[in-house]
Amino acid sequence: MSSRVCKTCGGSDIDVDQARGSAVCTGCGSVLEDNIIVSEVQFVEGSGGVSSAVGQFVSADGPVKAPLLGSGFHTSVGKESRAQTLQSGKRQIQQLGSQLQLNQHCLDTAFNFFKLVVSKHLTRGRKTEHVIAACLYLVCRTEGTPHMLLDLSDLLQVNVYILGKTFLLLARELCINAPAIDPCLYIPRFAHMLEFGMKTHEVSMTALRLVQRMKRDWMHTGRRPSGLCGAALLVAARMHKFRRSVRDVISVVKVCQTTLRKRLTEFEDTPTSQLTIDEFMKVDLEQECDPPSFTAGQHKAKMQQLEQELARKLDEVEGEISCYKDEIETELEKSRPKLRGIYAAYSKEINPEDDEVLSSLSEHEEVEDTDFHATTEHLTQDFLSQVIQEEKGQGRKTVNDDVRVQEEGPEEEVEPQEEAGPQHQVAPLAIILGNLPSAASLSLQETFQTFDKAEAGGSPDDEQSESGELDLNGIDDQEIDKYILNDKEVQVKTELWMKQNAEYLQEQKEKEERINKEKEQGTYKEKKKKTYKKREQIQASTASEAIEKMLEKKKISSKINYDVLRDLNCGTGSPSRSSDEPPNTTTSQKRLNRRRCRKSSEANQDLAANTCIMGKRFRRLISSTPKKKKLASSVENTVTMATAAAAEPADSDTHSTPQAAPNPVEVEEEEEEVEVEEECVSALQLVGDYGCEVEEEDVF
Amino acid sequence: MDSSNDEALDIIVTNVVATFRTRCHLNLRTIALEGTNVIYKPEVGKVLMKLRKPKITASIWSSGKIICTGATSEDEAKLGARRLARCLQKLGFKVRFSAFKVVNVLAVCSMPFAIHLIDFTKNNRPIASYEPELHPAATYRIKHLKATIQVFSTGSLTVTGPNVQNVATAVEQAYPLLFECRKPLCK
Repeated sequence: MSSRVCKTCGGSDIDVDQARGSAVCTGCGSVLEDNIIVSEVQFVEGSGGVSSAVGQFVSADGPVKAPLLGSGFHTSVGKESRAQTLQSGKRQIQQLGSQLQLNQHCLDTAFNFFKLVVSKHLTRGRKTEHVIAACLYLVCRTEGTPHMLLDLSDLLQVNVYILGKTFLLLARELCINAPAIDPCLYIPRFAHMLEFGMKTHEVSMTALRLVQRMKRDWMHTGRRPSGLCGAALLVAARMHKFRRSVRDVISVVKVCQTTLRKRLTEFEDTPTSQLTIDEFMKVDLEQECDPPSFTAGQHKAKMQQLEQELARKLDEVEGEISCYKDEIETELEKSRPKLRGIYAAYSKEINPEDDEVLSSLSEHEEVEDTDFHATTEHLTQDFLSQVIQEEKGQGRKTVNDDVRVQEEGPEEEVEPQEEAGPQHQVAPLAIILGNLPSAASLSLQETFQTFDKAEAGGSPDDEQSESGELDLNGIDDQEIDKYILNDKEVQVKTELWMKQNAEYLQEQKEKEERINKEKEQGTYKEKKKKTYKKREQIQASTASEAIEKMLEKKKISSKINYDVLRDLNCGTGSPSRSSDEPPNTTTSQKRLNRRRCRKSSEANQDLAANTCIMGKRFRRLISSTPKKKKLASSVENTVTMATAAAAEPADSDTHSTPQAAPNPVEVEEEEEEVEVEEECVSALQLVGDYGCEVEEEDVF
Repeated sequence: MDSSNDEALDIIVTNVVATFRTRCHLNLRTIALEGTNVIYKPEVGKVLMKLRKPKITASIWSSGKIICTGATSEDEAKLGARRLARCLQKLGFKVRFSAFKVVNVLAVCSMPFAIHLIDFTKNNRPIASYEPELHPAATYRIKHLKATIQVFSTGSLTVTGPNVQNVATAVEQAYPLLFECRKPLCK
């Protein structure tokens, strides 16, 4: 405080007494200041000896205008809804942020994000908790603090994926590009938690090197950074001769054992793991590895391929064995002694069958059995010949020839086609099926054809879908019948179902009984479904009319500059209309609302109705802003006029009766009292009362 | 077109979701009791019916709205839907087949190279997002096609879109961007 000069004597020695709040010149004794505003805190003793500070807390970013004492009551005391939201949000941010040990700058940034979110209406339908957490995490990411989403979800006991969803949405809507998480950020934090004492720094550095190596080996993409850190720290700890078990690490890092073990095994697979500790600290290998999931996938593919090859080779070997078997059998036959006499007759019967079975192909009358045999043989021989072909190429036709010698009949047709044709396995099947004259193949082909037809019949459906007709093209009715159970099955199923769902059915019955009982008693209250009344369309001929109507329908905000609005409406509004209200107490109020009276009672009725509706709001307006009374009332009038013009009498009737009854009009007075008027008696009556009294001069 | 030199990329459609309406009220209990391959869920209020021929699963609501999932092509979805409607018709409901619409198509595709997700996200900032704590893949959303591509670091892609054409276009659009951030595989 600059010492001033006394006006009377010119002395600069001024004594400021804080207690009395006065500044006195010590030279001449003249009082320079009285009632100095002090910025000290004063204490007052309350009941029970409790001393409390005197004064009110005023928030830095609260409502722009302070609530005026003695007047001005909105529905929410002191503040608007938006300000309240922001205030509670700020409080929650402070609370949560302090638990995370974030500094004030971060908390302020988080609050700014929150303000943005609220202004973009992104809080609708979301829990404030989630939104706050997402804002905080956004700040953590942009600042690069070592906080994980998991920490936040731990504090709030919320599923981390839900938080993540909210976070992603906010980041997208606010166009904030959060930089990607670097696992290196977490190392110091986890190292500290693992308590390495003096060597924490060294262990961290080693772990950092490990993480960087992992990054280059493509172990980090798509993985949680905490898992990598855990693995790196474990290895680093061991390198520095600290005994940290897997369990210690996972309790700090918050991943599970399996994950950690997997990371370690993956790291083991990289060439870096082969280096010794010293080598690792000095040398950096050039080679980079593939991502582990890719190598795993490739491994699987290789295994599958190997298996296939093995199977093929087995078949091949089997084929060869059967060849040899056949040859041996034929040789044996030849060398078997011929039976003479009666036995010859018997053997002849047996022999043909044996021959058939052995030779494994024939042209039989009985189609099914031999067809089966034939097809199986076909397939194995096909496999064989294919494999042989693939491996030894066209040159090795001798084997094929051998195979062919054993076969007769229809196969010969098949073979030449095969050798020339494609290597696909589907083709031989088709060929076989085509050649074999069996009923099975015929019906199979039929179904294939119907299937093709069905797909082709898709396009004519477009026209039919308009009419809703069902196109039956390609739908096999028989097959669909299979989907429907017959009567007996239905019975069985009904029984089963009833048994299974007995509880549910019981519940339903009880509920119905309950409802019926309540209906009888007359206490049945149907659970009202929340039906949102459809907003009426505003019928207006000009833009200004529309604005007025909108104003009347919506809650009127104190932030609208009525000056400007009035100027906009100067075309339509004429400031003198009568409006009625229930009997007032203060003359000032009366003067406010007196207008020249209207001619038609109908119009009065309208007005009455409208003012009843809006009386509440206009009272507020009028009394809260004494300077703006004129404006408010003029707005009111223009609005009422507009509504009167637009609304039909019938409409207003319905309005007035419900509105008249429960309309407690608040009469605000200068002394801050609120007088609640019980029931506007009836609009017409009121108007009647005032019809003659209104003829008074305007006070303004 | 694909800007690939040797092979064309195989885009395999694995799932097609379609909806249609029967324009009539359905009694779920009747369907549940008289149909095979049917699961009734009274708490939710729907019936699940599975068809074998085009392998699809349909959710049937009593209002007559039906959602078909599991088909491998758009035509198959339509065929399955019609089969289903025919089945319901046979059960005795006055079914009309209307408002058939394919709602979602899911396809997978595999790139012959690995992708550096962090670079990819950095280059395509607002469109691509990558959150390793939540999901191992980077998500790339193409707004005008209404398609979403999930990119994994191994180079495999999962694409979802409103129809097969969009899905193919999405892959074609994304290919050059992925190609930039590739990492040739060692083996």
